Amino acid sequence: MAKKTTKIGRYRILDELGRGAMGIVYKAEDPNLDRLVALKTIILPEDAEEHGEYRKRFFMEAKAAGKLNHPNIVTTFDCGEHEGMAYLAMELLEGIDLRTRMTKQGVTALEAVEIARQVAEGLGYAHERGVVHRDVKPGNIMLNGGGKAKIMDFGLARMRMADHKTSTGMVLGTPRYMSPEQISGQPVDQRSDIFSLGIVLYEMLTGTRLFSGENIEQVQHSITQTDHLPPTRVVPGLPAMLDFVVARALKKDPTVRYQDAYELAADLETCLAELRGQEVTTEPSGDKSRTVKMEAGRDKASDAPPARAIAIDTRLPISRLIDSTAAVKRIKNASSEELTRLPRRVGLLRRVARDAAVRRLFVVAVFAGFAGFYIALV
Amino acid sequence: MSASLVGSVVFLKIAEFARRTASEQARLRAQLEAVIAVVTAEIDPESRIVLEAADGAAVVLIDDPRAALRLAQRALTAAAAGLPLTAGLNHGALQLSGRKGAEGLTGDGIAVAANIAEFASSSRLLASRAFREALADAAPGREAMLVPAGNFTDAGLRAHEVFGPNDGGLARRRRRYSAASVVLIVAFVGAGFTWRATHEPRAPFLSALITKYPYVGELVQRVRH
Repeated sequence: MAKKTTKIGRYRILDELGRGAMGIVYKAEDPNLDRLVALKTIILPEDAEEHGEYRKRFFMEAKAAGKLNHPNIVTTFDCGEHEGMAYLAMELLEGIDLRTRMTKQGVTALEAVEIARQVAEGLGYAHERGVVHRDVKPGNIMLNGGGKAKIMDFGLARMRMADHKTSTGMVLGTPRYMSPEQISGQPVDQRSDIFSLGIVLYEMLTGTRLFSGENIEQVQHSITQTDHLPPTRVVPGLPAMLDFVVARALKKDPTVRYQDAYELAADLETCLAELRGQEVTTEPSGDKSRTVKMEAGRDKASDAPPARAIAIDTRLPISRLIDSTAAVKRIKNASSEELTRLPRRVGLLRRVARDAAVRRLFVVAVFAGFAGFYIALV
Repeated sequence: MSASLVGSVVFLKIAEFARRTASEQARLRAQLEAVIAVVTAEIDPESRIVLEAADGAAVVLIDDPRAALRLAQRALTAAAAGLPLTAGLNHGALQLSGRKGAEGLTGDGIAVAANIAEFASSSRLLASRAFREALADAAPGREAMLVPAGNFTDAGLRAHEVFGPNDGGLARRRRRYSAASVVLIVAFVGAGFTWRATHEPRAPFLSALITKYPYVGELVQRVRH
């Protein structure tokens, strides 16, 4: 039977909170400050050279994460090394992570937008200080009872691999929540976190998985190639503006994505106001369906491609807002020759018959000809 | 079920759409929809289909390229107040497909119009050569409204010759034809006189003219002195 850990560094272990790929998370007590903490252990590689490199990176990332002091980021108090493993002492939160919440209870649209807004605020703060999370996913977002969302594990995704490995294109993070540039092994910046948060927001709003696949290649293809269906198409009744927010956060090209998490947070704030307005409008009357329908019909983001991406075989959907059924019916009922006539070259006779300027010239020419003929011969 | 057709496509694209904030995108889109509702109101519903695009919209006109040009011009005018639009016009093949209630259109007609709209600068309308020819076919002479505006190669390395509207184009053409009429009159009448003078050396025609109109004789005398 394995020996039960009772102490790590100066921390007294009270309970085990969970196990992950990197190590174990304990509930522990800091005897110096008489404070409860979450102690995250990370197993260091046994190879001496790798160990040194990993250790160096661990302390570097832990120091960077330790500088982040924001209400939406789990605070890192301390870090250290104990019997071949590294540990991080972090703020202990009462609550559940977003993944568990989504699986067990689901999240309302209002909650989803509020959580995403808080996470965006936290990310914006970290990005300002040059720290990129690289593994934003529901499992790394903690929710406490008061509706506060906190981001966990800042920089830990980067600790999983040594520098030389990442530079050769190895990917860090959870594939389903990676940005196109991250899953392709390209350098990532704050915009990659924004994409990941876009996926989390989408999944909270719709209750569906956005990018999935049986293996990493399929997930990669899905992330880099597949366009998402606007959330309002999946859940009618959501504010139309959410379509635009999600679409912008999930742009494959980072240059046209939100460049700043604060910008995303500001847009989410506007969505929140709209959602709260909806609640106020619908609650007194009790006639929710009517209000939802009106909102759903208004200015939705299209799932059609932008002009730049339109190729010959690209399909544009018929507008839902301007009725085109009469023309569609006409096309379906018409014979194949009737509507497929190509423009003909305009000959002289048709020009004379239908072009006033040419006709005038022609008449003048005829009369002038007669006049010349008369003068010459009569 | 799918059906083929050839039609004129007006692709209205909101400039720099992807770079705008979501709230601005929503506002511009609502504005565009209002503009399209206004400019399509005068068109027979059996002749037009409105399509959605992520950064704009496309209107397909089944019979009338003139109406397509008018629609694009009206849309740009209506949108001048705060809606940065570009318009691409093309005439080409289209295919209607999809289940009932979820139909859509594909085809070169849309692809080229979208590429041209992407190429056009803000508040500018550009048309393809195919559209200009369709306009000439539908209303000979009206194609003079579209003057060459350059060439470009799209992302698929396809070259396009584009034409832009020129309000003075029709007036210039009218002036050119009027000048040609005058030239024709002078040429024919002059040729008549020349022929007669050449073939009747004693100029009986001139004598007959002087007899009939004495002041012509006086005019000839004055010129001689």
